This record gives sequence, C-alpha cells and structure tokens, in this order.
Amino acid sequence: MAEYTVKDKLSFLKAAAGSGRRLLAPSSKDGRVRLAEVTPDRVAFDYLNTHLSPKDAFFPQTEKMLAFHKDAAKPGAFVYQPLGLDKIQPTVVFGLRPCDARGLAVCDRVFQNDRFTDPYWKTKYEGAVKIGLACQAPGPNCFCTAVGGSPFGEDGLDVLAFTKGEGLGLKTLTPAGDEFLKGLSGLESGGAAGEMDGLKKAAESRLPGPLDLAKAQAAPVMEIYNQPHWKETADRCLNCGTCTFFCPTCHCFDIQDEENERGGVRMRNWDTCMSWLYTIHGSGHNPRPTKTERVRQRFMHKLKYIPLKQGGACGCVGCGRCVQHCPVNIDIRAVAVDMSK
Amino acid sequence: MTSLADLNQNIQTAARRALADGRAEVVFGYRQGTAPFTAAPHFARTPEDCGQFVWTSFARVNLAAYLPKYPGKVALIARGCEARSAVGQVVESQFPRENLYVIGVGCQGMVDPEAVLAREKRPIREVTEDLTTINLAGDGWTASLPKAEVLRRNCKTCVCRTPKDLADEMLGGDAPPLPADDFADLKALAAKPPQEKMAYFKGLVKDCLRCYACRQACPLCYCPVCFVDETRPQWLGKSNDAMDTFTFHLLRAFHCAGRCTSCGACEAACPMDIKLREFNRLLEEEVQKDWQFVPGASWDQKPPLTTYRPDDEADFIK
Amino acid sequence: MSDFEPRIVAFFCNWCTYGAADLAGVSRLDYPPNFRVVRLPCTGRLNPKYIIEAFKRGADGVWVSGCHPGDCHYIAGNYHARRKFVLLHHMIEAVGVEPGRLHFSWISSAEATKFQEVAREVVEKVRASGPNQSFRKAELDLGLAEVA
Repeated sequence: MAEYTVKDKLSFLKAAAGSGRRLLAPSSKDGRVRLAEVTPDRVAFDYLNTHLSPKDAFFPQTEKMLAFHKDAAKPGAFVYQPLGLDKIQPTVVFGLRPCDARGLAVCDRVFQNDRFTDPYWKTKYEGAVKIGLACQAPGPNCFCTAVGGSPFGEDGLDVLAFTKGEGLGLKTLTPAGDEFLKGLSGLESGGAAGEMDGLKKAAESRLPGPLDLAKAQAAPVMEIYNQPHWKETADRCLNCGTCTFFCPTCHCFDIQDEENERGGVRMRNWDTCMSWLYTIHGSGHNPRPTKTERVRQRFMHKLKYIPLKQGGACGCVGCGRCVQHCPVNIDIRAVAVDMSK
Repeated sequence: MTSLADLNQNIQTAARRALADGRAEVVFGYRQGTAPFTAAPHFARTPEDCGQFVWTSFARVNLAAYLPKYPGKVALIARGCEARSAVGQVVESQFPRENLYVIGVGCQGMVDPEAVLAREKRPIREVTEDLTTINLAGDGWTASLPKAEVLRRNCKTCVCRTPKDLADEMLGGDAPPLPADDFADLKALAAKPPQEKMAYFKGLVKDCLRCYACRQACPLCYCPVCFVDETRPQWLGKSNDAMDTFTFHLLRAFHCAGRCTSCGACEAACPMDIKLREFNRLLEEEVQKDWQFVPGASWDQKPPLTTYRPDDEADFIK
Repeated sequence: MSDFEPRIVAFFCNWCTYGAADLAGVSRLDYPPNFRVVRLPCTGRLNPKYIIEAFKRGADGVWVSGCHPGDCHYIAGNYHARRKFVLLHHMIEAVGVEPGRLHFSWISSAEATKFQEVAREVVEKVRASGPNQSFRKAELDLGLAEVA
C-alpha cells in the first residue's frame, strides 16, 4: 500500500469532491458536528468525534425499502417496486474516526456474511471510499484502546489520514483506497508512515490500557448470563434507547409498512433492545419481560455474542458515546469489569 | 453548611439512620459518576452502601421516576423537584404515602453540561464540584465556574429549591426560591403569526431521534403502555417522520399538563439537547392561569385534569 | 382556492349534538356536508390524540361538540372534557395551527337550529383557513410517478 502527503487539507478535499463522488464529511451545524454532504470549505477538523455515529450514512434511521400499490389491471393484486437502491451514489467519506470505522466493520459482518447479504447496506458500504482521520488528541470519554482498537486504527478504512500541520499525511489500506488516491491530483508520494508511528504511540499513551475481558470471553455463555450483577445495573437503567441509537455497532431494526388507500411503503427503522416492544410477541408473551433481561441483552450482545459470532472481535469499539450520554451513567467499562469478575 | 464534604457526610448519616430506624428498606440517592458530567443513581440497602452517597450537580434524572409501583418502603434523598414529583405520584396513587420518607436537601440547582461546554469549547477531562462552583480540568489547564452561571434552564426559575414543606427531614442550608418562570418568551411568541409559531416548535424537535429518553426519565411517564408504543391501533409511525415526532412531543406534553414539576429530567436526559420543556411550559402557563394549580405542592390537592369546577371558563366554546 | 372543499372530522356526543344533527336533518335544515361524524358516548371520552390524529391524517378542521355544562348524561363527563378542551385549544393554537381549524361547541339534542348555525360557521372558518398543509403527515410517496 502507498503513502502520500498533501500540503493543505482544503485542496485535498476539493480534489476528493471533484472525483465524481459525493463528499460526506464532518461539519458543524447548530453547534454540533455531524457527518453530512458538504462542500470542502465547510469540513470540520476541530472535533473529537461526530455527535451521532456515522452508521446512519449506511444504515439510516428510516430507510424506505419498497413501495407497493394496487394493481389497476388485476383486482386484489399489488405491484411492488424497490425504492432507493438505484439512487445510491458513489461516495467518499472523509473524517471517520478509527473507532467508528471499526464499528461499521462490525455492522458490515452483520449485514453481509455467508448467510445474508443486505443490498441496501452493501451498495452503500461498498460504494464508499472510507477515509479515516486519526485521533491525535483523543477525547475524555474515549477508550478504543481498552477494547482492542487504536486512535490510529485501520479496521474498516480504505485510507487513514492524519493532520500534518496545514496538510495531511495519508496511508492507503485497501486497493479501493489506492485507486482513489491515485486518481487525485496534488498528492506527493511518501512522507507519512514514519511520522505516523510516533503519533500513534503518543496518542495511545493518553488512552486507557486494555480491559480485562479474558474471563468474560472464555466463560460459557450461561455462566455470564446468570451473573447476579445484571439486576443492579438494571435497577438503575431507564430503558431509554439512547445508548443503542448512539452506538456505532448497534444495528437492530424493525420493518414496518405505512399504508394509505392506494398502497404503501415498506420501511425499516432503527429499533432498540431497551424497549419492551422490541421482543413482544403477537400472542402477548414477552421473552424479555423486565429491564434486567433487556439490559443484559445489550451488554451480552456487545461483549459476548458478537465476539462469539465474529471471530473474537469485540462489539464495543470504545467511542464513548454511551458513556457520555447515558442519563444514569451505566458505563460499559464497568459492566465489562463485572462480567469478568 | 460549610462544605460539600460535610453535606455528603450528612446525607450518608441520614440515609443510614433511615435504614436503621426501619423507615425505609432502601434509600434512593446518587453516587459519583464514572465520566465528566455524570452521576449514577444509587440505591442503598445496607449501611455500607450508604457510604457512596454524594450530593451532585450532574444528576440527569429525577429519582422519583424509580418510585411508581415500587414494592417497599423508600427513603428519597430529594431535591425540591424530586420531592414535588414524589408528592404528585402519591396524589396519583402510585404508592402509599407511608412507604415514602423524604430526606429533603436544599438545592442550588443542577449544572447544564451543554452550557459549560459552550463556554469552554475545549475537551474537559475532569469535573469536580464544591458547594457553589464547579472545577474543570483539561489538557494542561484548569478553570472554575460558579454553578449559578451554568445552571440548567429549568433550575433558573426554580420555586422549590428548599423542599422543607414536603420533606420529613431537611439537610443542607436553605436555598431561597428564584423568581418564577414568567413565560415572557412564550407570550411574545403567542403574538406571532401561526407559521412562525409552528416553525419554532417543529424546529425544536427536528433533531429528535425518538429514543424516548425524555419519557423514560420523566417521573410522570409511568403508564404501563405509552401511546407511542400502542400497536392496535398504532397511533404513531415508527419512522423519523417529522409529524409523528411532533405528535409525540405534543401529546406527551399534554399528558404532563398540570403534573409537571419542571424538574428538567427530560431535557437533561435528551442526548440531542432538545428544549423539550418548551412544550410543557405552554401548558404549565395555562394551568397556572386558569386553575392556579402548582403540581406537587400538597399531599392532597387533586391534579387539575382529574377534577373540575362547574364554573370553569372556556369562552371559545360556541 | 375558491373550489376548496374542507374535510372536517366531527366528534359528537351521542346524547346531544348527534341528536341535534338528526333533528336538523328531519327538520330539513340546510347545512354544509363537509364533515364526517364520529359518534362518542360523551365528550369526556374524547382523547386528545383523536384530534391530533385527525389532523395528522390530513383533516382540514376538527369540530368537537357535546352537551351543555350541567346536562351531561354521565353527570360530569363534559365538565372534565371542558378542562381538556381548554388546554388542547391553547396548545394547538400556541404551536401554530391556524385558529380557524379547531372548534368546540355545546349543542343539545333540541337545538337543531344552533346545530345548523354552528355547522355553517365551522365549515366557513375552516374553508377560510385553507387546506391543512402544515399540521399533517406528508402524503406517502408510492413511487407512482415513476411507474407512469
């Protein structure tokens, strides 16, 4: 893979925006940084991370999947047509933080694997060149290093960039990243990798050491499942969905139709395992009847089930959003410690 | 009260006493959070547990939200708003009065993290507090801010900072009430054309994710099934449709009318920092004007929507 | 907008206004046909979400009518309803729904003439407010344009 430097960020972003791809990048709006389609001059650099995780660029809160209407020619029949898939544009995402890119990779293994392929996710995810921006000054709630990541992590990225004075250092990580940078003008070859190692070590030294998840990972599922600490955490939990909506790896959805007298639209919406509605059966039976089961599900999923299903990869990437936003301070780091006791 | 450490000591002692005297089997309070601007609700069942209680300005919820249908005797370490909410719940028969022991604490107001971040505009790695100031530390810098300058919006118009009329015992010094909300901004808005009003209120909730943290944090939202979760019929779509979101906020405000104690838990829990109380204030103003009712102020006064007067005025009805 | 015919959802109490509508009909009193009636056992049964749901689904106006205060079949249903109306009326207008869209009235089953007058007034006021475009859910996009 190759390395490049550019003298100023803006000309790089202009070149990226002129590549024929839609530019998605962090920008500030109403005092909050979010990933949005922006012009190069509005891209933000002075942010810890985007307020919401970047998952909605690939898995929006509401995604219209198909529309149906009554067939005029055939009474009782409906005509279906997919919505949106043909409107997905090739994109370049600039400014993903390594934790979030790693989170998207976790989602990718859910939406595309040997059993299923989700065309909506696949088209967007694979149609995007993902350029990460390394964290040279990690935030107060960051703990990527505690769960196996790094502020200069490379998982899920095509290119990793870091700030170098007024410019950028860039390192390509995939053929797609290589090809994209090759097509841009104004890049100088070399001069990034050496510097990157030093910056990486400096940034990592400001972050916590790894969480001891060994026991939680090794113990049988039912042993962790039956641990007594779940009740204490659940006592406090309000069962709001804030953690799941902010989490870069939470990917659950609910498919619903909205209809009128002529037809309807099928859409999928973010759902949250914190809600009792998430598991209620048509019969009225609810396999997760109380807060305790719901809270346990979330943490078991992140720290036990995902590692089991995805070859050891932790379902938490340490972005710190849930720690920051949980109204009752349920801290996934503390839960992980409880699970490993 | 000379220091925060003294107050914490007093809270812990009062909690242990409530357990020892059999007035409660559990004490609800807060303990120190694990990250800047956080506090964790703490439920102490043993004298040792009580050692973790602290007074915090970073509470984002209202402890009364844990009370409805609670099966045992509870001692509540309560700010004014929390005491008022608990009183409201007793009035609404959510649990018997004798199951509640209120340890009131004079409160100088909660701190709004967004207000602090808006002033500092740099990463804050550590936050501590004493009685009247918060102390911030970042990368190579420290700063102190008076709490009074970064209060939560609802705390700026608190009329019950010292719940001595509602508490079974009081801790902490008196915090005199602040001037009540005069609703001046809403009155000014009422004179504007309809389009402007709607743009304002729809604009307030444009970022809403419908995570329902506001509802879950609210001490009034104890319905077994919320109307937004009803499925037969389904009143609200599950998508992020703007009108569905707007409807949620309007109806939630309506359900809280004449019951809301302005505790601000909804706004503090909201991860998108939406000014949710604007909807509640609309109705709060009307409830005060028409029925002179103050929620949670007495143990036996019925909420205004559960009662009536034959001569209630409603001149808009033809 | 001269050919605009408003669609109004009317919630009538079974014991009074519903009867007044019936009496107006048998008395051959002329009134505009722009409202669809939902019969309620009492205005006290009216959940505010019904009103918002009507608007949400595209109604241009809503009209709620029940028994005069003191005449409730269930003694106090309309007294309780009246307090809800006060708040709802205030809230709906305060958030920017045009004042001409939401109407309340007390009409007994003997007041066919009042029914006629109020029906005319309600329809005219809603008509003057124009189609409800801001306080409703957007029409579903069924992708029909692309098919055609």
